[in-house]
Amino acid sequence: MDLTGLTLRVAAARPHVLLAAVPGGTAVRLAAERLLRARDWPRASTPAQADLLLVAGPDLPELRTPLERLWRDMPAPRARVHARTADEVEDALNAGRALLGPPAVRHASAAPPADAGGHREGDHGARERHEGDDQTPGHDGHGDHRGHGGHGGHSGGQTEMPGGLPMAGQGADRDGLTLDQLHLPLGPLLADWPAGLTVRLVLQGDVVQRVDVDEPARPIDDAAAEAFWVQPWLRAASGEPVPVGEAVRRRAAAHLDSLGRLLAVAGWPAEAVRAWRLRDDLLSGAPRAAVAPRLERFTRRVGRSRTLAWLTRGIGVVTAQKAREAGVGGPAARAGGDVTSRYRQWLADIRRDLPRLEDPAPLDVAVEDSPRGPWSAEHPPSAALIALLPRLLEGTELAAARLVVASLDPDPDELVSRGVVEVARG
Amino acid sequence: MVEAGAWWTLLAAPGLLVVLAALAVAGNAVLDARDAGRLVGVAGAVRPFLGVPRALVAQPRRLPAQDRLLWRTGVVTVPVAAVLSTLVVPFGGRVVADPSVGVVWFNAMEVLTWAGLWLAGWGPDAAFSLIGGYRFLAQGLAYELPLMFALISAATGAESLRVGDIAAAQDGLWYAVWMPLAFAAYLAGVLAFSFLGPFAYPAGRDLAGGVLGEVSGADRLLLQAGRWLWLASGAAMAVPLFLGGGAGPGLPSWAWSLVKTLLVLGLLVWVARRLPVVRADRYVEFAWVVLIPLTIVQALVPALVNLHR
Repeated sequence: MDLTGLTLRVAAARPHVLLAAVPGGTAVRLAAERLLRARDWPRASTPAQADLLLVAGPDLPELRTPLERLWRDMPAPRARVHARTADEVEDALNAGRALLGPPAVRHASAAPPADAGGHREGDHGARERHEGDDQTPGHDGHGDHRGHGGHGGHSGGQTEMPGGLPMAGQGADRDGLTLDQLHLPLGPLLADWPAGLTVRLVLQGDVVQRVDVDEPARPIDDAAAEAFWVQPWLRAASGEPVPVGEAVRRRAAAHLDSLGRLLAVAGWPAEAVRAWRLRDDLLSGAPRAAVAPRLERFTRRVGRSRTLAWLTRGIGVVTAQKAREAGVGGPAARAGGDVTSRYRQWLADIRRDLPRLEDPAPLDVAVEDSPRGPWSAEHPPSAALIALLPRLLEGTELAAARLVVASLDPDPDELVSRGVVEVARG
Repeated sequence: MVEAGAWWTLLAAPGLLVVLAALAVAGNAVLDARDAGRLVGVAGAVRPFLGVPRALVAQPRRLPAQDRLLWRTGVVTVPVAAVLSTLVVPFGGRVVADPSVGVVWFNAMEVLTWAGLWLAGWGPDAAFSLIGGYRFLAQGLAYELPLMFALISAATGAESLRVGDIAAAQDGLWYAVWMPLAFAAYLAGVLAFSFLGPFAYPAGRDLAGGVLGEVSGADRLLLQAGRWLWLASGAAMAVPLFLGGGAGPGLPSWAWSLVKTLLVLGLLVWVARRLPVVRADRYVEFAWVVLIPLTIVQALVPALVNLHR
């Protein structure tokens, strides 16, 4: 009796998927999230928890190394697949499951489609050792190993450090204490995080001392990336007639996507799932009457939650004036306040947009805001949001820092997409 | 009175605990399926258990600078402490042991989780995991004292630390009825030491799983099982402490114990889904300014009642 084979088959029936969303791959990510939810394949948030690595989006040379690191940190049995477009997601997931099953099943199943890029490694018993092969430890925000600080007085090489890693350096903190500094990058492939954004933190305890934001990764081939959330605005700007209803629908879905992410980061997974489900219903063109009651219930429950408001109050305050000075428009500027006021603004915007989901009038880019602010190809709204981050994050705790980022939810797609690049080149 | 020490109870107690924990997991999976718009049914309810064979075939994890001994010790401590805690929890008229300090034993086992989770966070030498570990300590500072005052309220009411005596002392009037604050603080404590729902702070999504972020395979299974075993154990302990144990009309006492335990367990699973994670920096303030004074006053009530009896 092949007990291992049976176990592998049973285990492969519900693989845990590490979804690595790449800038420009929002449509792919959405398709994957919808499918994973329908199949009840749980999302893993670190490589340690995952069986299947699904790369969602175009090829980005800059992200190859971080992706490789995620893959290396996954325990066997494991499989890796790549979906470049939304249509490839289903095939990629099926191929991934086949790769995870026992060898007999693997031979019987169709070979993975070339584009899905199936790749399996680590049969039972094949063990890799991580020791010593890791000079830059960490899996890019997926629970990084303790960072090596500015190693002040330590002279490397004299004493043997555990695992060959340098010890954390020390520095004065805001309270005048000398504490270990941890260098912790968030992103570019962190779960519930803007795809491709990298924020480098220096932490003492879990208080953020310094913040650097990296330039977002760009695809080699501009044509591969598209800014999904601002697509109607891009099309309207290029002269194509786009109905307002479509743009409004896209905007409401974008807010629901952001809300889902904020709720996930705030540790309310049940409501996050509801938000994402509503988002997918809106995007699949569900009529207003079908989503309105559920949307109403959702906005009421989240909007009136005193606990959530209590937990997010006073964090990441951006006054309306500060927002204007930083060039931020849209919901973040209109909210003019803390995380609480920003998510309530999203909810209010969704409710306001609800009656217009089927409006056939043509979209005027100058009148309707894109999800993150008035659309301008030269100054995409997300660029201003990202520019706000360093000042807002310094001095916060890690949990609050993640809430701040989630409540602004910049969309790196806007910075790397084809439309933007074309227009900018003029 | 409860009867202690039958040899088979030593096997039955952990078995029953595992069954209760599995029911909680299945119930949670059903609610998950409903929220996600999937078909609600038995198939969906048992799907989380596919994780068991998955954990057994997964490769154990090795990290560059892990502290393997402490890591494993921490991971094993959590479920083991949960099982040990049930030794003093009576079910119907039976209990494995009914020592004169049963409440203290339960509390001591629960405090072992502090060490367990801290070590589990420390062991892998990874930033998110480490932060998850000390988040639990911060959370512990907030929930532990109200929980202890809640336990003390029940013990003061019965003038005994023996769990069997506490259950028997609630003849006619449950402690949950005239010590509602202690009951609420106790239930919050149960969610906190099982780090689930509003108290999932050490394993937060914002930390990519925190203490759960780096464990895989059997280690992960043990730590996850520990959470649900603790939830089940806490629910079972609520029955003798606050809900009159196995007492009730008509049904045999084991049936009453089962019904009450399932109701408490169901309530906990439901509440865990209704609230976002309460960050320790906010909860500590609330706990020390509001909860601790309230639970102290609550503990005073049975003390004064007993003095004037």
